[in-house]
Amino acid sequence: MLEFKNVSKIYNGNKKAVDHVNFNVDEGELVVLLGPSGCGKTTLLRMVNQLESITEGDIHLNNKSVKESNKIEMRRKIGYVIQSNGLFPNMTIEKNVMIVPDLLGWDRKKQLDRFNYLMELIGLHPDEYRKRYPHELSGGQQQRVGVARALAADPPVMLMDEPFGALDPIIRTKIQDEFLQIQKEIKKTILFVSHDIDEAVKMGDKIALFRDGQLQQYNHPFEILHRPANEFVSEFVGQDRVLKSTSLYSVKDLVDSVSLTGYQKAGSVQTVQEDTSLRIVISKLLNQEAEQLAVEDTKGKIKGILTLDLVEKFLYKQIKETPKRTG
Amino acid sequence: MEHVQLVGLAIIVSILIGVPLGVYLTTNEYLAESVLQIFSIIMTIPSIALFGVMIPILSTIGQGIGFLPAFIALVLYSQLPIIRNTYTGINEVDPNIRDAAKGLGMTTLQRLIKVEIPNAMPLIMAGVRTATVLNIGVGAIAAYIGAGGLGSLINQGISRSNTTMVLVGAVVVSILAIVVDQLLRYFEKRFTPKGI
Ligand SMILES: Nc1ncnc2c1ncn2[C@@H]1O[C@H](COP(=O)(O)OP(=O)(O)O)[C@@H](O)[C@H]1O
Ligand SMILES: [Mg+2]
Repeated sequence: MLEFKNVSKIYNGNKKAVDHVNFNVDEGELVVLLGPSGCGKTTLLRMVNQLESITEGDIHLNNKSVKESNKIEMRRKIGYVIQSNGLFPNMTIEKNVMIVPDLLGWDRKKQLDRFNYLMELIGLHPDEYRKRYPHELSGGQQQRVGVARALAADPPVMLMDEPFGALDPIIRTKIQDEFLQIQKEIKKTILFVSHDIDEAVKMGDKIALFRDGQLQQYNHPFEILHRPANEFVSEFVGQDRVLKSTSLYSVKDLVDSVSLTGYQKAGSVQTVQEDTSLRIVISKLLNQEAEQLAVEDTKGKIKGILTLDLVEKFLYKQIKETPKRTG
Repeated sequence: MEHVQLVGLAIIVSILIGVPLGVYLTTNEYLAESVLQIFSIIMTIPSIALFGVMIPILSTIGQGIGFLPAFIALVLYSQLPIIRNTYTGINEVDPNIRDAAKGLGMTTLQRLIKVEIPNAMPLIMAGVRTATVLNIGVGAIAAYIGAGGLGSLINQGISRSNTTMVLVGAVVVSILAIVVDQLLRYFEKRFTPKGI
């Protein structure tokens, strides 16, 4: 779907921002471009929709070089979300969201339906927000509208440059969750820039980790965390990489892999849902909120008891037994 | 009223020249500096001197005094505030907003019309207001070259040593400036998109 072929970018004849980058992104995949500030993530992203020119190499979108595509037409087929949301202050929310459909000449009825659908998707009431202006919305709401605007003409590809980076941690977590839910429904091919390993692990089907414009490792989050390709990667993911990997799993994954301790009706015990992240389970157990947790399935039936020992056993099994995957 | 006619016509023509020119200059930084410099210099020429220069030139087409030289002078004086404010207004549109507009696939012209000009509107209108108030004042001096208007009242007052006449003229010019300024403030609000 999206192929980076030996892509380099040199600014002003000397500053090498992107250095011979090669990787492919499959359809429907969310790939996180990860790395410290200044490593060339934004530059790489902006070369895809030709907001930056490609100095060397090429990028193919659906087997066609982006250099040879008509820039204007191509950009209308690529969703673009930036950190500062970039909403137009002079336009209502409806006008903002419908900007690309408008440029494409959609009729009024089609635009109305699409607006309503998108607003429901991002969890804002269409009629309540239609005539409002961006400055009347909170940061989180503005960012959601930015996502809706990028999705407006149903582009197959989305470029997102630290889309949730300016939000405070609580809102950010919430919007990340919402967006993952949306992505399940829309299955777009997405390049998502982040400098935060936790966000990358949470959001990415794959992670492309960069340093000084060079691709260090491109693989599933699990591989990046457990089989770092070099010193830089292992340093970047941090000493607590095993803990980080716990956000890759839900209670259900654990239940499917190791057997729970039997449950006896004795006293009160805290429960967790099957779709809870293992990371939250561990923090509950470590916080001494409970020594054990009862796992509840979707129907509210208790399946068994979860303890730290079991989590440890599960993680060990994952690390030892998961076959090596390649990017 | 001659005065209002002169100033009104001069401002309309000034906008028609100055706004497009200001917009164009945002695409050519080098030229922008020179053009702004030239109009800054024109601004510093005293209006009497400017009229003086124009009389011999325009006399060649028989328009040495009267409406035409006054009109040209007003248009020239209006250019600096209008061009500069348009230029600055467009240049100061948040780069993120411009980037988003580009990334979403707007053409240069669409960006200008849908995003850049609306967001620069408060500054552009402020420039027009400055130019108008300035022109009401300069327009009074144009009476010296026979352009009529409120200036002639003041002129006659001075030559007849009639203080009341001078005062009436001056006060009316001031009131006109204030009223027009308020009127333009109102238009500024009307023309500025609500979200800004
Ligand atoms: N327009 C530009 N002109 C010159 N250098 C630039 C430009 N944009 C980015 N750079 C440089 O290229 C490098 C990569 O920048 P960027 O792609 O923004 O990194 P990131 O998004 O990973 O923080 C940085 O060293 C930055 O200073
Ligand atoms: Mg960046």
